[in-house]
Amino acid sequence: MEFLIVSTLNGVIYGMLLFMVSAGLTLIFGMMGVLNFAHASFYMLGAYFAYTLSGLFNFWVGLIVAPLLVAIIGMFIERYMLRRVHAHGHAHELLLTFGLVFIFEELIKLFYGDFPVNYQRPDYLNFAIFNLFGTDYPFYRVFIGLVALLMFIVLFVLLTRTRVGMVVRAAERLPDTARALGHNVPMVFLGVFGAGAALAGLSGAVAGAFFPTNPNMALELGVIVFVVVVVGGLGSLAGSLIASLLIGVFSSFAVGLDWSLASLFGLIGLGDWANSLGGLVTMPLSSISATVPFLLMLIVLLVRPAGLMGSKN
Amino acid sequence: MPRWITTAAAITALGAIAPAVQAEPLKIAIIESLSGPQTSTGRLIATAAEYVIDQANTNGGFNGEPIQVKEYDNAGDTSGAATKFREAAADGAHVIIQGASSAIGGQVTEDVRKHNIRNPDNPIIYINVGAEAMELRGKKCHFHAFHFTTTAPYRTVPLMQVMSEQGDLGKRVYSINQNYSWGRDMETAIVDNADRFDYQVVDKVLHEVNRIQDFSPFVARIKSENPDSVITGNWSNDLLLLMKAVGDANLDITFGTIFMDQPGNVANAGDVAEGHYVAHSSNIELLDEAGPEAYKKATGHYPVFIEPTTLNGVGLFAEALKQVNFDGGDINVNEIALAMENTTFDNGLGGMHVRKADHQAVIPIVVSQVASGVKYPVDGTELGFKPIKTVAGEDAIYPAQDSCRMRRPK
Repeated sequence: MEFLIVSTLNGVIYGMLLFMVSAGLTLIFGMMGVLNFAHASFYMLGAYFAYTLSGLFNFWVGLIVAPLLVAIIGMFIERYMLRRVHAHGHAHELLLTFGLVFIFEELIKLFYGDFPVNYQRPDYLNFAIFNLFGTDYPFYRVFIGLVALLMFIVLFVLLTRTRVGMVVRAAERLPDTARALGHNVPMVFLGVFGAGAALAGLSGAVAGAFFPTNPNMALELGVIVFVVVVVGGLGSLAGSLIASLLIGVFSSFAVGLDWSLASLFGLIGLGDWANSLGGLVTMPLSSISATVPFLLMLIVLLVRPAGLMGSKN
Repeated sequence: MPRWITTAAAITALGAIAPAVQAEPLKIAIIESLSGPQTSTGRLIATAAEYVIDQANTNGGFNGEPIQVKEYDNAGDTSGAATKFREAAADGAHVIIQGASSAIGGQVTEDVRKHNIRNPDNPIIYINVGAEAMELRGKKCHFHAFHFTTTAPYRTVPLMQVMSEQGDLGKRVYSINQNYSWGRDMETAIVDNADRFDYQVVDKVLHEVNRIQDFSPFVARIKSENPDSVITGNWSNDLLLLMKAVGDANLDITFGTIFMDQPGNVANAGDVAEGHYVAHSSNIELLDEAGPEAYKKATGHYPVFIEPTTLNGVGLFAEALKQVNFDGGDINVNEIALAMENTTFDNGLGGMHVRKADHQAVIPIVVSQVASGVKYPVDGTELGFKPIKTVAGEDAIYPAQDSCRMRRPK
């Protein structure tokens, strides 16, 4: 029971963090069709900006201003780089954002050094919210989850219930018609890209204070957010949420379970033989817990090629 | 005057635009991860190695010429290292220095071995200052490879010995390591020493390297075993996140680590880090002040993490250079390698030398504890590494592996 509750809680919170980072990515892809490889770099920039700002002012200023700065950088990239290569097709956009990943990584190292910086949450956020089977549960983890939940609600309402959301969706589905109706479609795209970058920046500002802020953080999360978006269905916000939670919970449970192929053989009485083989057969699930998301992606792609909530199923 | 005569003679003899006779400069290639995720380690190694060479050059260089150093960026992977090795060999490098990552170390040492088989007259020396895999000193050992860093058992034994003497090891030990050669070496060392230091390995976990953001599921697993101490060879994020997660859960567990002194760890972990142990090959708290101060003046920081190892390793190499003399003629790399085998270098904690059987350096291990009130606090905190005990190299070192069959030059 303890294992069940603790693992679920850990998994859900980690899933919410993944959702927070991938929300912007799925927004940008869903609305603009741009697969932004540099998305996790925005996440890293958010953390570093928040670190600098929290040193100059305080934690909350960092939390609010850092995403805005990241949004400005995002809009600059959209306006002066992506728009130029847009005419040449998706491959060029992909390559451009792929290159930006390396540039951001080395720039961060130039300005902040190679080592993790000391970005900490304020002491008054540093307490245990409850005690679970003798283990303190840090409040900040719950805080990350709450911010992510809030983000989902705001985005969802904005896109489906407001006029702004309607214009954005119209600009994506039928850009020419939207333009004919007097909407500035390039401006809408600029705004969407900025908002997507800001979301990544915000998640960096929040999560950077919990996980270390270091030059590799974009690399570490870069692949997994793509997995989230693919599993959830490209462009689907709700799909991303479900995929994030699935990945979070599955990874969390995988750590606690020492299952291996050998134990599977054990069920049919071949356990000793399987154990004697060694190698991959006896590799416990916990040792490959970080591959669980990829396994999930494989299965989803086989069964539902457009992702869980993808529109083209 | 004599040189002028030789030069004149040479010109007369060739009767044309013969190059001026010049001593052959010693060329050192640093093939390191200078971009990509491993930059933090690669850059420190390059800085420390260049510092030693600069010093040697101010003292007159080698063979009548300044020693030439060149950095090659392997971008953190083996294929990059292989390309850069070919480049360095084409540039005429005599010595290659590398350290970040055992995988790259494996690539470089194999490339050097093959190069030396094909070019017995122009061999290259490989100076390993950071790759800790046992295999490099075992199956992959060869005469031209020198290993100045330690290995998993080399550090684990003194670490657990001191922790047990201090009463912090306890009876229940948890082993958590990264799932590759290094982590497996660590796990083996932890399991093998259970009887010697009278503990029980309550659980052992191998997890993926630098892929896990959230360590709380591992903490839940650690907690369920109720260990007294956790021994881990984790480095970088994997150590930091693990310590933070354990600290957030408020578990009272002592960590025995190998890489706690990596910059940024203590600051990020905060008070959680206090009381944890680290086994390293040097500790500036124990050194004469002049060395670290001079280093800080030249590089902007005190030697940390992998830098002392590099300073000592390349230092021994520089010391060995003093014992060979080619009188401004061609450089004989084999003679330098033989001199390295016979050199003793004072690293400030005692003499260090290279074991002939597998070219593993015999160096003392310092076991330190994160504590306040130290001379050199780190990361802008009040905490630093308080030395608890120095274990002599001879007592800490593991026996040479049978798999090492070294062929010496005739």
